[in-house]
Amino acid sequence: MQIDILFIFTALIEIFKALPLTMIITLVPLMIGFLIGIGITLIRIRKVKGLYRLANFYVSFIRGTPALMHIMLIYLGLPLLIDKLAGTFQWAFQSTSIPILLFVLMALSLTAGAYMSEIIRAGILAVDQGQLEAAESIGMTNFQAMRRIVFPQAIAVALPNLCNIFIGFLHTSSIAFIVSQKELTGAANIVASNNLKFLEAYIAAALIYWGLTIISEKVTALLEKRATVYNRGGVA
Amino acid sequence: MDITLIIDFFPKLISYLHITLLILVAAVAIGLIIGVTIALIRIYKVPAFNRLALIYISFMRGTPILIQLFLIYFGLPALLTLVHIDVSRANPLLFVAITYGLSCGASFAEIIRGAVNGVERGQTEAAYSIGMNEKQMLVRIILPQALAMAFPNFANSVIGSLKDTSLAFTIGVMDMVGRGNTLIASSLHALEVYMTLSIIYYGVVLCLEKGFSLSEKKLQRFEGSLAVDTK
Repeated sequence: MQIDILFIFTALIEIFKALPLTMIITLVPLMIGFLIGIGITLIRIRKVKGLYRLANFYVSFIRGTPALMHIMLIYLGLPLLIDKLAGTFQWAFQSTSIPILLFVLMALSLTAGAYMSEIIRAGILAVDQGQLEAAESIGMTNFQAMRRIVFPQAIAVALPNLCNIFIGFLHTSSIAFIVSQKELTGAANIVASNNLKFLEAYIAAALIYWGLTIISEKVTALLEKRATVYNRGGVA
Repeated sequence: MDITLIIDFFPKLISYLHITLLILVAAVAIGLIIGVTIALIRIYKVPAFNRLALIYISFMRGTPILIQLFLIYFGLPALLTLVHIDVSRANPLLFVAITYGLSCGASFAEIIRGAVNGVERGQTEAAYSIGMNEKQMLVRIILPQALAMAFPNFANSVIGSLKDTSLAFTIGVMDMVGRGNTLIASSLHALEVYMTLSIIYYGVVLCLEKGFSLSEKKLQRFEGSLAVDTK
């Protein structure tokens, strides 16, 4: 076996250039997913009629199917829908002019929404009901109580899970290479086949992912210390 | 788009479900062996090996399954040529099973360790105080409780692995997704194929969830305060 150690470094530098795209594919879905998650959580906690069942199905379906399916369904299905709409409404617009990246982001946002809603729900349910009553008893509105009392505590509870979902999506973003996105895995793939050094290129990619994961774990540990300040026992 | 094609594709794809399930079962079996070994190393803090176990878990947790798959697929044959074993012609299923087994092993190890540490220290002391030896204490007191505690996480991990198997086609395994791709090539109806695949995956996950929640109830029937309904 020959491993070209030097080439790992070359590949590392080459693949590292794809980091911004990986970050986009990781962070944008998580942010949109967070908003979707809040909406879904409110629907599920308040048990909004009609929407409640739909929300449950959405979460269960997304969690029950691989992310690859979400990407493929959106990537293949949405253009058909758009072209059909464009046909009926005479738009001068073709689905081929939409970059694939947009479909990937949309699909992963839907994925993130379902997982986020579970995390947010767990966080909100972890806050004692009495806190909400206490907030209302001193005259806060429901919105104020949610924003000032429940949410900060819920976030502290949810932080480890949020870190996990970030790492999870960092890794899920690697699937985007299947629809030919040039993120870390896609770049590794290109470097590998251009130089016919597959193992070295994937080792380099693995090192980058691993490093990113370790960094985000460390950052979370710091954030957790800050977020749980209110909850510290003892004096001072 | 032609919805009726889904009915047409369904039997063709589900006839490859056993390959997907085979990967899952092999991965869980390998994962359990690795997981228990590593959990023991971590719990008893075996010198040197504890370090290695930490690095192993960190690496498996820190890299996407897709990258792990490629590393094993390209790395293992290269590694084995050192001892003059040629696996370059081996079935890609083998590489997939090993990769998913290694990945399961890391998550199982952490689940088992967490569960064993989650059993109260006093239980160990109580077991010793009534004259049990270490093996009895482990088998009769700690493990049953740890198992009940680990089970929900274990179930989640298995379901996660099932979904991960959808990536096995990238190294040329003929599982459901692999078969789906050949169907796409011959019929040019990609959307319908992926819709069918989603339905099958969703069905399998629902069945697994149902089965796990039934066994969870059975496992936790002795728990008084612990059996909080999580739903």
